[in-house]
Amino acid sequence: MRKGSLFFCAFLMAIVAYAIFAATAWSFKTKLFPLSVSIPLLVLLAVQLLLLILGKEETNEGATMDIDFSVDVPPEVARRRVFGIFGWIVGFIALVYLLGFPLTVPLFMFLYLKFQSEVGWFTAIAITIVTWGCFYLLFQSLVHIQFEAGAIQTWLGI
Amino acid sequence: MFDAFIEGLILVLQWKAFSLMLVGMLLGFCVGLLPGIGGAATLALMIPFIFKMSPAEAFAFLLGMHSVAATTGDITSVLFGVPGEAISAATVVDGYPMAKKGEAGRALGAALMSSLLGALIGAIALALAVPIVRPLVLTFGSPELFMLSLIGISCITSLSGTTTRGQIKGFAMGLFGLLISTIGQERQSGSLRFDLGMMYLWDGLDFVPVLVGIFAIPEIIDLAVRGTSIAGDRPPEHLSSGVMEGVKDTFRHFWLVFRCSIVGVFVGIMPGAGGGVAQWMAYAHAVQSAKDSKERGGFGKGDIRGVLGPGAANNSKEGGELIPTVAFGVPGSGAMAILLSGFLIMGIMPGPEMLTKHLALTFSMVWTLAIANVITVILSLAILDQLAKLTYVRGGLIIPFILLLVFVGSYTANGQLADLIVTLIFGALSYCMVLFGWPRPPFVLGFVLGKVIETYLFISMTRYGFSWLTHPIVVVLMMLMAVVIAYPYVQQRRQRSRERAHA
Repeated sequence: MRKGSLFFCAFLMAIVAYAIFAATAWSFKTKLFPLSVSIPLLVLLAVQLLLLILGKEETNEGATMDIDFSVDVPPEVARRRVFGIFGWIVGFIALVYLLGFPLTVPLFMFLYLKFQSEVGWFTAIAITIVTWGCFYLLFQSLVHIQFEAGAIQTWLGI
Repeated sequence: MFDAFIEGLILVLQWKAFSLMLVGMLLGFCVGLLPGIGGAATLALMIPFIFKMSPAEAFAFLLGMHSVAATTGDITSVLFGVPGEAISAATVVDGYPMAKKGEAGRALGAALMSSLLGALIGAIALALAVPIVRPLVLTFGSPELFMLSLIGISCITSLSGTTTRGQIKGFAMGLFGLLISTIGQERQSGSLRFDLGMMYLWDGLDFVPVLVGIFAIPEIIDLAVRGTSIAGDRPPEHLSSGVMEGVKDTFRHFWLVFRCSIVGVFVGIMPGAGGGVAQWMAYAHAVQSAKDSKERGGFGKGDIRGVLGPGAANNSKEGGELIPTVAFGVPGSGAMAILLSGFLIMGIMPGPEMLTKHLALTFSMVWTLAIANVITVILSLAILDQLAKLTYVRGGLIIPFILLLVFVGSYTANGQLADLIVTLIFGALSYCMVLFGWPRPPFVLGFVLGKVIETYLFISMTRYGFSWLTHPIVVVLMMLMAVVIAYPYVQQRRQRSRERAHA
């Protein structure tokens, strides 16, 4: 975990260092606000990194005000599931790019239910049809959101 | 005055205006539940339908819809950890952990009842404040609004851990949010900043894809990792008693709800600050109400006060925003700017006439805010038990639904694939933030306030040089900011000396 914290802090520092570097080339008015934010930010991150390198442990008292992830699952399983769900999310975006939203919604729903949630064929198909119907009614018929066509349809000229 | 007040009620209760208000409420209910489709966007979509309506009908329709969207936005925030509206993001922080503990009904009951109280306080403020608030708004120029935004950002001290390390991380995240808000075209000179050569970034990052990514993705990942329902393997709470418990919580913490409602009204009155700020200021105030560091540590883990504060402020700010819109034609937010166009379509000029010639119409808006919220909350309370049961549905079945909601919601921001990628990037960032103990609320506060702070700072410097620093209201606001920053430290010191005395 400590290695991860170090890496994350260093990653944030790299972003901020890039921001400072990019801002120096701008006019005074344009760079004033980003620089006045990013310089103290870099200092704070450097202090945090130093504390991490020196191995100062954080106490739980007054911990950050945010949710805690579940610790009931063995780390190996948790890691595998994290990569799994990230894979599904990236796959969803890739499908939207290739097929567009209207086709991705039923396809993704069915694939996730069948192969990730491992539900039966009937349940997977029924939920997919209901979801697609709701999606069509709400977003296409009622709210009229214009969804871009997928890359495949564009290539095929459909 | 009293006659106009009653006349306003009669205007709303006429069958046509009332029916249109119900239609608006139904639309607002759905819009509030769906992430990404904001109340402002729906107001814009509905504007063409008001041409054939009378002014009272039009405002019953539009305000009925807009005020309800803010109320029901909390439902998805609590149930799935996905903010239904950008202004419901703060409710996720404690509402969703409550759902994970099997207390979804209680959180929903509290969110809705505090929303109702907030809306009523906002409506009363609107009724009372129009004649009083004029000098206040007119004395608030860009330096004062800049200071007000700084007070908002100084709430970071309350939104971070109490230890030095916690404060370092909190301030770093707040500054990081401010830095991210500078992406895109600089408004004064038009120069591009951090655009990475992509036209998508010219307008800066939209709130919806960023907020949805920040709050929803880590929750989805955690749900997938646990492999259970949202509420886990906990035995189902008595859902109906849970809802009633939430309602009772609202009255147990009535003064907190009242104070947070006032925060919402005040932020709503100030043009440009918006609901995104009101909810976090209210959340920070709720955190400050913790008696000691142990109690404070419970925030973010499912403290009911973390649901009550933002819930109240979200809705009270609707009344607050209407005050400058109605009285001076100065819209307090994007949604109010759209509503202002509704005034012009109706041939009504906001300003002093709204307090004389059209006073009954002004009061009809007050009644609409109150009646629409009362009806919505009563109807919602009736179905909350069923909604709360969703937290016991197997995670494998609910995850694809939440993913669809998240990504369709973020897509509605600009209608581009890049919106989905932004959601993914900020989702991954947010996952790391939670994993390594960096607080998300300060980041969101910085991101929401960044553009406002920079704009007002620039105008203040251009108009007044450094002399604005000596404006009396600015000085008062500086002192107030010092109090906001120092309060958590003073509170902590007091607690320690109390503990020492006990030892």
